[in-house]
Amino acid sequence: MKQNDLIIQIKEMKKIYRIGKIAIPALQGIDLEIKAGEFVSVMGPSGSGKSTLMNIIGALDIPTSGTYMLDMVDVGRLNDNELAVIRNKKVGFVFQTFNLLPRANVFGNVELPLIYTKDRIRNKKRKILDAIESVGLTGWIRHRPNELSGGQKQRVAIARALVNNPSIILADEPTGNLDSRTGEEIMGIFQRLKGEGKTIIIVTHEMGIARHTQKIIYIKDGIISGQEDVKEQLSAKEMLKKMPKLDDKI
Amino acid sequence: MRRFTENIKIAFNSLFLNKTRSFLTMLGIIIGVGSVVAMLSIGTGAQESVISSVQDIGSNLVIIQPGNPEEEEQMMGPQMMFAGDTAELGIDDVRAIERNAELVTEVGPVVIGGAVVSYLNRNTQPQIFATTENGMELYNMEIEKGKFYNRGDVSGSANVAVIGQTVIKKIFNNIDPIGKIIKLNGQNFKVIGTLESRGTDTFGNDQDNFVSIPVTTAQTKLYGSGSYDMILAQSISEEVIDEATEEIEDILRRSRNIRVGEKNDFRVRNQTQILDILSTITNIFTVVIAGIASISLLVGGIGIMNIMLVSVTERTREIGIRKAVGAKNRDILVQFLVESIVLSITGGIIGVLFAILISIILNNFTVLETSITTFPIIIALSFSTVVGLFFGIYPAMRAARLNPIDALRYE
Repeated sequence: MKQNDLIIQIKEMKKIYRIGKIAIPALQGIDLEIKAGEFVSVMGPSGSGKSTLMNIIGALDIPTSGTYMLDMVDVGRLNDNELAVIRNKKVGFVFQTFNLLPRANVFGNVELPLIYTKDRIRNKKRKILDAIESVGLTGWIRHRPNELSGGQKQRVAIARALVNNPSIILADEPTGNLDSRTGEEIMGIFQRLKGEGKTIIIVTHEMGIARHTQKIIYIKDGIISGQEDVKEQLSAKEMLKKMPKLDDKI
Repeated sequence: MRRFTENIKIAFNSLFLNKTRSFLTMLGIIIGVGSVVAMLSIGTGAQESVISSVQDIGSNLVIIQPGNPEEEEQMMGPQMMFAGDTAELGIDDVRAIERNAELVTEVGPVVIGGAVVSYLNRNTQPQIFATTENGMELYNMEIEKGKFYNRGDVSGSANVAVIGQTVIKKIFNNIDPIGKIIKLNGQNFKVIGTLESRGTDTFGNDQDNFVSIPVTTAQTKLYGSGSYDMILAQSISEEVIDEATEEIEDILRRSRNIRVGEKNDFRVRNQTQILDILSTITNIFTVVIAGIASISLLVGGIGIMNIMLVSVTERTREIGIRKAVGAKNRDILVQFLVESIVLSITGGIIGVLFAILISIILNNFTVLETSITTFPIIIALSFSTVVGLFFGIYPAMRAARLNPIDALRYE
């Protein structure tokens, strides 16, 4: 895939929720294009519609009107089962609250998307171990989420998002529940993945996090109110060097 | 297949996570399946022992009893074999059969009664089973020690007795009874033989608690009556038993001068017919009890549905996560269905083991004879699977229909 191919193409997308007789417009006409390999952040106040947008991009929901093409597939016209296949193969989710299965260990959590993949997967175990290795948790395979720190949990979630080699990775406030150093580490992983050619979209309300990405998209009242390319992208690696380590103080 | 084994793994994991809850839920199924299988094993055991105890007597035996054949419909159970009635059977009937029947090898009259039997200062009240010298063969009795009375003893109304094991235990107490003089209702009888143990019959009656004496002696010296309680006849083979039964009926109708169109004043029955009646009784017994027991399976199923609904609510977030990474509605449906089926089948298997245990205990420590066959086990296990499937489908559908966004937000 060429770097400049459009992986996401959204035109005049609207989403209206109906609660009884009241219609609540969440998205009021979004036009958005994201190229393969881009690292984009979405910013906006609460209720601006950024979660709704992420849900639709992630194939968890469908738009009321407008079109949404993901990797040449018109996601807006798919049924439940077809959406599930998109979520399984094309999208990797990372949530603010990690959303790991508490009863499964690291291996089991990372394995999860592969369980729901219909095709026979060769070297399944290798794939899982590679994904775990890429987030630096090789020594923690048999641990359960309650034995891990917040940062480690988010790494497991990223490994899970990576395991099926999706077209895009969606992260909803991935650093929201983490301290700044751990958050920086997570952003470091995303930056490395971007370097490997992954398309990544994160939702955040912290400018400091957004400035790790290439492009910031601002959303307000269900429409895109602005876009800007980040001029001086922050490097998580550099930031971590500057941050004091806890070890230094003790 | 891979996903199916994965589902089974998930199901067992979640069941193990809530051990107490899973066990309590399964208890309904355990009790249900356990009682159905145990009850059926008692029923089957009863049936088998009825059949074998009837066959013990001799499978080509025809039994002739006095009385109106219409009445037999109202009489069910063991007492029907010994029912007394006004129309009597006598020596003429025995002779008529002996002379005319071609399909019969042996004929023997039987008088049944009671008497106080005593030896020294001990006494007991066993059944008196009086017959002729061929009665031993007709009734499948076997001599343990000594001998059975012979033709001479019968024609001479000899005061000789052959005694069963229970009587020996009660009045002889380690003394060798052969040659000893016992008293039957005050009259002296010499013990000439002892009989092998016959155990208990289906209904728990002791079959060794009797004394056998020549039928003539019983008639003249004990009861003072010329009539018989029944006549036993043996057909030449098992195959012709029905023909032999009809032949005997014809002979007796003629010898007793019963005109065409008149009803018999005696009953002729063979083993097969008796078995049929007894089988009907035990079948009804089995079905009724198994029916009652299966109600508890139903209640167990409702318990499963209840707990599965709780489980779906508890695991809403898990369902959301699974859907977010690509689980289809069907995957979630199957996951929860497998879980409820695993719950009910595990309960079913434990229930079957439990029933086998009960049946072994009953067999060894009570008079009940039980028999575990594969049929009720298969039926009970498939029934419990169906229960799991039926009561699991609604909770599983609720889980499958959850919207992934709402499920992920669920706290």
